[in-house]
Amino acid sequence: MYILRFSPDSASLIVRLVLEELGLPYEARPINRDAGELSSPQYRALHPLGKIPAMETPHGPMFESAAILLYLSDRHPGLAPAPDALDRAAFLKWFFFTSTNIHPTLMEIYYPERVAGEAAAEAVAVHAAARMKVLLAALDTAAEPNPAWLSAYKPSLLGYYVAVLMRWLGQNKPSSVAYIRSTDYPALHKVVAMLEARAATRTVAEAEGLGAQPFTDPI
Amino acid sequence: MYILHYAPDNASQIIRLMLEEMGLPYRTALLDRSTRAQDSAQYRAVNPTGLIPALQTPDATLFETGAILLWLCDSHVSMAPAPGAPGRADFLKWLFFTANTLHADSRLLFYPEQYAGSPEAIPAFRSACEARIHRDLGLLEALAASAPDYLNAQSPSALGYYICCLIRWINLYPTDRTGWLHLANFPALYALALALQERPAALRVSTAEGLGSTIFTAPHYADPPEGSVI
Ligand SMILES: N[C@@H](CCC(=O)N[C@@H](CS)C(=O)NCC(=O)O)C(=O)O
Ligand SMILES: N[C@@H](CCC(=O)N[C@@H](CS)C(=O)NCC(=O)O)C(=O)O
Repeated sequence: MYILRFSPDSASLIVRLVLEELGLPYEARPINRDAGELSSPQYRALHPLGKIPAMETPHGPMFESAAILLYLSDRHPGLAPAPDALDRAAFLKWFFFTSTNIHPTLMEIYYPERVAGEAAAEAVAVHAAARMKVLLAALDTAAEPNPAWLSAYKPSLLGYYVAVLMRWLGQNKPSSVAYIRSTDYPALHKVVAMLEARAATRTVAEAEGLGAQPFTDPI
Repeated sequence: MYILHYAPDNASQIIRLMLEEMGLPYRTALLDRSTRAQDSAQYRAVNPTGLIPALQTPDATLFETGAILLWLCDSHVSMAPAPGAPGRADFLKWLFFTANTLHADSRLLFYPEQYAGSPEAIPAFRSACEARIHRDLGLLEALAASAPDYLNAQSPSALGYYICCLIRWINLYPTDRTGWLHLANFPALYALALALQERPAALRVSTAEGLGSTIFTAPHYADPPEGSVI
């Protein structure tokens, strides 16, 4: 049994969608952020940096959403190429690309003041948004031929990861430098629009209050 | 036969160390950074992000250091816990942590002008980066001190080479601000660095890329026989 430590609409969402899609038994255990639970010794034992998500597994506590996703998909096949599959290489490079480039750049857009202080926040966000558009364009090109690992016709690990990142970008106000919509990236848009209609997404959207179109028209 | 697209003392070094350690046949394809060969149409066809490294295999082209490492480990069942093996879950979380936090923060440190927003913001930006890197290395120190299979001084590992190369570059770059990281304060990482730099694989890479001795514990700027570091 997996115990996912979560907070609504945070990076735990990516893992929760995948747990639902795989139909795995799990407990979603909320984190009491207001009570400072992220800094508690108990939580730090799960995640030494006190970030979200963390997940308890039969193999001990895990953190890093991408690591948890890969761990789950290697144990419960279906959402990504298996370790010995021919298209594992293509999947892995775009999966790491998303985790090491797109995800951190998104954090710079969301928390620009953490990068170089309040005074630089605006300029940091402008730079990060410009980089984000280049990164998403590259991923969109990779999605165009509809690879199984980022398909518009069937759910995938990377698809859910991208869907959540698109959700967060789409929450920016139209006046924001980082106002980016899934429709700006046609191949990715097809992927996330398809995922939005999945029963797994409906279940999680209901549980976390994410609205009717959590990926293509997030609120 | 693998083809490693590389520039001396760039992130490609991590992969080269792995290929040497695993004893795999490969050849290198040099990217001349002095002419920004990483931006050429030819290289963009290999890696659309224009970052170094990329690895061509008989079946596919890979990029992203972490992806290449994991793929090599799984394909050759070596230098990291295999899927399903004990330690796999822990290995994965620290691999991703290294790739998207320590490595990502190192990139910020090396190229402040791309990330700080404005020249005036660079000092605050650097301090924030250095603080995060200290924090990250503190966590990896605790991990190394517990000496798991996938990170110890007794046996070479993918994660060990990855972390030690990052430590090397953090000590060398940016060239106008070095000397703030004291590896001696991280004794388990120091022991790891010392052990890995003496391995025959590391000595071969050192010769090929002109790195001198003590490549991890007391690094010098590379004097490569071909190509340009930046
Ligand atoms: N690389 C991490 C990033 C996780 C992350 O940044 N989580 C955010 C929430 S989306 C968090 O915990 N923020 C709280 C904080 O930084 O204090 C992952 O993918 O798990
Ligand atoms: N996330 C990438 C980062 C690689 C990276 O930063 N490579 C540097 C060299 S160490 C590079 O290509 N720099 C050239 C440039 O940015 O144009 C990876 O892990 O492969």
